Amino acid sequence: MSVPRHRILALLQTQCRVFNTVYNPTRLRTGTRILHQRLKGAAVASYYPPRVGTISQLRALYPDYEIDDEQEEDWLEHLQIARSRGKAAPKKKKTAAESKKFTKRK
Amino acid sequence: MSQFRAKKLDIGGFVNIRNIRDHTKRKVFAANEPERQALRYIIRNTTLPQRVRAQAQLDLSQMHCYTRFTQIKNRCIMGGRGRGIFSDFRMGRYQFRLNALEGNIPGVKKASW
Repeated sequence: MSVPRHRILALLQTQCRVFNTVYNPTRLRTGTRILHQRLKGAAVASYYPPRVGTISQLRALYPDYEIDDEQEEDWLEHLQIARSRGKAAPKKKKTAAESKKFTKRK
Repeated sequence: MSQFRAKKLDIGGFVNIRNIRDHTKRKVFAANEPERQALRYIIRNTTLPQRVRAQAQLDLSQMHCYTRFTQIKNRCIMGGRGRGIFSDFRMGRYQFRLNALEGNIPGVKKASW
């Protein structure tokens, strides 16, 4: 017993409507396979754990509280000591001519 | 390709340049994924004019290599290793062992039979 072709096509059409796929009886390559793929970008991008609990984040979260950054304070103190001993970094040169002081030696 | 890299460090865990680079690639891939998929769709769709499809092929091949998924590699978030990674735990085999024995990984327990 053979089923007529139009019956099979009708079945296929219903199947496509039920399962929300594209009805394509002539089997053209329309690239719907790619439209069906899920986007995995969000999952891929969240692989590494985010950086949390930094001082700047805490300050942004709690603007009413004073939060000390010990490392920064230590560094500023170190800079202060270096400056008083005359060992601080030289001043930033503003023009090209100033910065070329040591490049041309005669 | 440091033009894509975040200006401030934005990953926790183990940090080295390879992990930062991989993280950058992941972010660039996520940002460009819809565009890539659209171009791929145009290329595969045989009902579209040949000229449009050729142009899409060209556009896709001209995109930056960081937008490609194959650039992404799973790395150990605890030790930065690139090989021997359990992708379920995002850790290298030795870091996995250490953390599992310490009890840091829920549901993982040493078995012996």
